[in-house]
Amino acid sequence: MTEPVKNTLLFAIVGGLILLTGFTQSWNTAILILNMGLISAIMAIGVNLQWGFAGLFNVGVMGFVALGGLAVVLVSTPPTPGAWSAGGYGIVLALLLGAATVVAAVLVATRMPKGRAQTLAIIAILIVGFFVYRAVFDPSIAAVEAIDPAIAGNIGGLNLPVLLAWPAGGLLAAGAAWLIGKTALGLRSDYLAIATLGIAEIIIAVMKNEDWLARGVKNVYGIPRPAPVVGYEVDLQQDPGFIARADWLGLDPVTASTLSVKLGYSLLFMVVLLALLWMAQMALRSPWGRMMRAIRDNEVAAEAMGKDVTRRHLQIFVLGSAICGIAGAMMTTLDGQLTPSAYQPLRFTFLVWVMVIVGGSGNNFGAVLGAFLIWFLWVQVEPIGLWLMNLITTGMPDGSALKSHLIDSAAHMRLFTMGLILLLVLRFSPRGLIPEK
Amino acid sequence: MSDNPYHDDKGNKDRSIANTHGAGTMTPAHRKSGETHKVEGGPFLIGDTMTGGYGKGPDILHDCTIAVDKGEIAVIVGPNGAGKSTAMKAVFGMLDVRAGAVRLDGEDITNLTPQDRVQRGMGFVPQTSNIFTSMTVEENLEMGAFIRRDDFSQTMEQVYDLFPILRDKRNQAAGELSGGQRQQVAVGRALMTQPKVLMLDEPTAGVSPIVMDELFDRIIEVSRTGLPILMVEQNARQALEIADKGYVLVQGRNAYTGTGKELLADPEVRKSFLGG
Amino acid sequence: MDFLNALVALSNFVLVPAIAYGSQLALGALGVTLIYGILRFSNFAHGDTMAFGAMIAVLVTWGLQAAGVSFGPLPTALLALPFAILGCIVLVLITDRLVYRFYREQKAKPVILVIVSMGVMFIMNGLVRFIIGPDDQRFSDGARFIVSARDFKAMTGLREGLAIKTSQGITVIVAVVAVALLFWFLNKTRTGKSMRAYSDNEDLALLSGINPERVVMITWIIVAALATTAGVLYGLDKSFKPFVYFQLLLPIFASAIVGGLGSPLGAIAGGFIIAFSEVTITYAWKKVLTYLAPEGLEPSGLVQFLSTDYKFAVSFVILLIVLLFKPTGLFKGKAV
Repeated sequence: MTEPVKNTLLFAIVGGLILLTGFTQSWNTAILILNMGLISAIMAIGVNLQWGFAGLFNVGVMGFVALGGLAVVLVSTPPTPGAWSAGGYGIVLALLLGAATVVAAVLVATRMPKGRAQTLAIIAILIVGFFVYRAVFDPSIAAVEAIDPAIAGNIGGLNLPVLLAWPAGGLLAAGAAWLIGKTALGLRSDYLAIATLGIAEIIIAVMKNEDWLARGVKNVYGIPRPAPVVGYEVDLQQDPGFIARADWLGLDPVTASTLSVKLGYSLLFMVVLLALLWMAQMALRSPWGRMMRAIRDNEVAAEAMGKDVTRRHLQIFVLGSAICGIAGAMMTTLDGQLTPSAYQPLRFTFLVWVMVIVGGSGNNFGAVLGAFLIWFLWVQVEPIGLWLMNLITTGMPDGSALKSHLIDSAAHMRLFTMGLILLLVLRFSPRGLIPEK
Repeated sequence: MSDNPYHDDKGNKDRSIANTHGAGTMTPAHRKSGETHKVEGGPFLIGDTMTGGYGKGPDILHDCTIAVDKGEIAVIVGPNGAGKSTAMKAVFGMLDVRAGAVRLDGEDITNLTPQDRVQRGMGFVPQTSNIFTSMTVEENLEMGAFIRRDDFSQTMEQVYDLFPILRDKRNQAAGELSGGQRQQVAVGRALMTQPKVLMLDEPTAGVSPIVMDELFDRIIEVSRTGLPILMVEQNARQALEIADKGYVLVQGRNAYTGTGKELLADPEVRKSFLGG
Repeated sequence: MDFLNALVALSNFVLVPAIAYGSQLALGALGVTLIYGILRFSNFAHGDTMAFGAMIAVLVTWGLQAAGVSFGPLPTALLALPFAILGCIVLVLITDRLVYRFYREQKAKPVILVIVSMGVMFIMNGLVRFIIGPDDQRFSDGARFIVSARDFKAMTGLREGLAIKTSQGITVIVAVVAVALLFWFLNKTRTGKSMRAYSDNEDLALLSGINPERVVMITWIIVAALATTAGVLYGLDKSFKPFVYFQLLLPIFASAIVGGLGSPLGAIAGGFIIAFSEVTITYAWKKVLTYLAPEGLEPSGLVQFLSTDYKFAVSFVILLIVLLFKPTGLFKGKAV
């Protein structure tokens, strides 16, 4: 079997699995799997760019995805009335003061001659800066959070179309990635893994605790939809043309409207995925991409040829993280709400890694395939596990503790299965399903 | 790039997750030891008409023969890339020997792993990374005696008598010593097993001429105890002066063989390898 | 100015909790550093190994409690600890045999092992949730305090109380014993030295007749013992929750890196540095400062630098600062 035939077949199998879900379970589930599969595929492209093409170990995917979600709130929700005048500007001023403090400290650290005076100056700047920052920051956030805390209590957003939030999410993630990369890749040796692991936790902590920003754990609901494309169920159910079409398909208007909205998202996501995939492929075939691979395969030689390896690594790290940010923004748009406590590293960092490794690190199509396959399994392992547990426990008496424990625990088979799949692929097909050429 | 997918780290250099310090680089020819059998006669240690290379790679050695007998110092010399170290590694089992054989003390050991050769009495001092830098001198010697279950304090005393400086620095980390002292630790470590033959891969690489002379003196001293020594040397002239037997290798083949004195006197050898 | 009361308040809210937390982090970081030094990769499954060991301790404790066995004023979990360690050892040795050994034979690059450990992490995480569920489990019993705040006040007549929880006392004692044993083992025994030798120079260790598989096996056994101990102590001090152990991975990694990966001494120092910075920076200093400040100048706010939710940020910033000034951590080059 030739390469293209095999790969097409693999994609066809995964597509078939999703269709099968539609026929045997429900089309709603099938399209949900498809939509999250598309988003996962974008995340996988981002991680694959970093790991597969530059060997950068990013274990903070979750953080960038969450930043994308945050961007959606900041861009597309309406501003909270009175929040800006109450404390919004104060917060901005405080953040600027904080940034100025850090910049001043860095300047002193780099410009001033080394010695006790320098150390003292840095400490003085940091302490004074910190207290000034807190003095401006604390009353401002108190003022913002006091505004209608039951439904708002945050500064709100810019009330722009939600589609604009997707690139904004990418930008926000890119900015964070630049800061992390600049620091972690700039150290004498590379400490990217621990840096990303840490920053992801910090980003989530900020999103959970800074209520003025996006309401923290109180969540933000009712994020606007990219309405012209996907529409709203209620509107569709009133549209006689739509009802007629639904009828023709043999569906009741309610089901048809939810399916239609979800398919609208699918279309949008598909466009973004194809665009990013095309860009990633073009980039990798360009001289820039060839250089990236040259660096990966022989860093010493590349360095000897005058390539600035750290700079290239920073570039690709920022790009990959931006892609994860876009995916994060798309996900929050799809959910229609931002739930900071839903961001778990196993789900948003390590599962994406499983997707990339299973699909084939170093191959964009592999990453996409892996994303769909793993997401499909992530969703379906739970019902399969439940079915399996029911099968195992059929012989046991009803009400036995073991039986109920096994059935209750079926949900946790998911993590176990993901680990097993990762280990099996690493062991028996270490280059993944679609290996790098 | 290697064929093994597990060797592909994609150029990752992340120190927070991957530790390359002290990682093994040895590529033994055999993972598990094969059969050995008794052979009559011949020198104490001989790599007999060895042909072979690393793994699946091309042949580097061609019908190369190296031997050393009791009480002798045998020296392998030759130009850069002649396969000197490779020949010694072949004798030690780190090279796939496709034709020929290695025999030690009347036994064919061609199919043994390097570790098992150590058990049979081969002491090997690699050219680089030949000490445990983070451990004290004494601990280095203890590790040398790891395979011995008997009391090795006697042997340690002998090593300290041979290298008195090591006695003074016994509690110092070996990595803090000078180049010459490190080599003494390396040789001392190998002697701790009470080997039947000692193999040294360029023991004087990177040390000053004075230290080199001292090291050669010590090596002669070791050999006086009756221990056969097989040595690869970059400094051909000095090495041949102390050698009972010399092998000049060129491109993995024996070019000249003779006693040290014969080779030093040979005009061809002088012209080509000793700079006139 | 009331220096004595300030000191007691400081001990009660900062020193004692930080010492206990530091001991737990140090034990965790020791396991990470040993794997890093000897197996040469960062083990992402370490938090879940801790959770697994602690889970067995919880189950055995429940069994003992049900059987009416108790350990007097000490928590029953201490009696369960040896069984938990044993169970954890069995788990990691099976994992090594089924998973890691293959990659050693292949001489896989460390970063591949890191990815493998992610798979193991998923499996162990799933296993723990499958067996005991994802919820909080309490299993500490026995006397709650060695010294309670009220007794302390009665004893000394001071306004501030100093409470030392039994779990904190036990944590420190067990940690000291474990660390002393580990250092004795690594520095004084033949096997311990052979582990250091293997970490320092694998090839030369091989040439010295050291059996790598034995070194690896003993490493896993020690790591399982350390991880279980750390997990049980943490669970006694706070509570047992699988996800929390997974989250401990960050401060544990940070401790090991701050101390210098591969250095046991560094792991301990790192654990305490991280613990003390976390506690001091997230503690509201109002009380202590009120005692210290001159009349009329008492602070009005809480004087809390960061909310406790940002403790991860603290570990992270400490890590960055250390790496900026000492790129290899505080204790460099001291291989295991």
